[in-house]
Amino acid sequence: MIPQSHFLIFSAALFAIGIFGVLTRKNAIGILMSIELILNAVNVNLITFNKFLGTPNGLGQIFALFVIAIAAASAVVGLALVIAIYRNAKSILVDKLNLMKW
Amino acid sequence: MLHGLLQFLSNHGIPQGLVIQATFYGIAGLTVLFAFLVVMSRDIFHSAVFLVLTLFGVACVYLYLDAEFLAGVQILIYIGAIMTLFIFAIMLTSDAKTRLARKIDLRIALSAGAALAIFAIFLKIIRLDAWQPQTLSPTPLGLTQIGKSLMTDFGLPFEVISLLSLAALVGAIVIGKVEKK
Repeated sequence: MIPQSHFLIFSAALFAIGIFGVLTRKNAIGILMSIELILNAVNVNLITFNKFLGTPNGLGQIFALFVIAIAAASAVVGLALVIAIYRNAKSILVDKLNLMKW
Repeated sequence: MLHGLLQFLSNHGIPQGLVIQATFYGIAGLTVLFAFLVVMSRDIFHSAVFLVLTLFGVACVYLYLDAEFLAGVQILIYIGAIMTLFIFAIMLTSDAKTRLARKIDLRIALSAGAALAIFAIFLKIIRLDAWQPQTLSPTPLGLTQIGKSLMTDFGLPFEVISLLSLAALVGAIVIGKVEKK
């Protein structure tokens, strides 16, 4: 079957791509999308260890469920913030949002 | 149906393990490719479409990890709910015509360096012996077991999560509503 390390490498690749997206995206929605990629990488890790270390009560899968729930909550609040910012500043490009910078 | 297909292939000289491995590496490679396109595509709407494909690929990877319930949750909540929200937000905010030219500048080069460094550190950690599996889990975790754990061992976190969802709902409404002057 497929060894554990290959799942972990897959997850590490997703995580690195998400980090790259957070650092380079200029659109605020793009940054939120990259954060979703990072959370998915974390979930893959949790479920991999749950399978290969064999926790009795499914700790890893339940933790992944909680991560999904919190990701949904954070996406909802983040997108509401993005829409509120767009209404006030007429832009969601983060390099133009420097009102609180100085 | 899947078992029938595997049986058919093994009758024709293709072993089951090979089929499982080939499909896994295909799906994993495509998922990483789509994730890269999420980050790199210029049009934010294209990014959203590629993110849907990436999330679907991750759901398929969950199936290889004996997490059928989580694969379903991933498709229902991420693709069904969160991505709909993202697409709504894109429609409401982005002036879709302003495509940003993404030249290779110092910021992108530094970010790529940082991401590659993190990936290299992870690879180094994955190769450590400490992470090798001690025992294979005796039985795959069923939905019954997950439900029981959620209601007994993890009852308090479960309720806290529902409180958090309520707070997020109210907060999103308050932040997003138009104030009358």
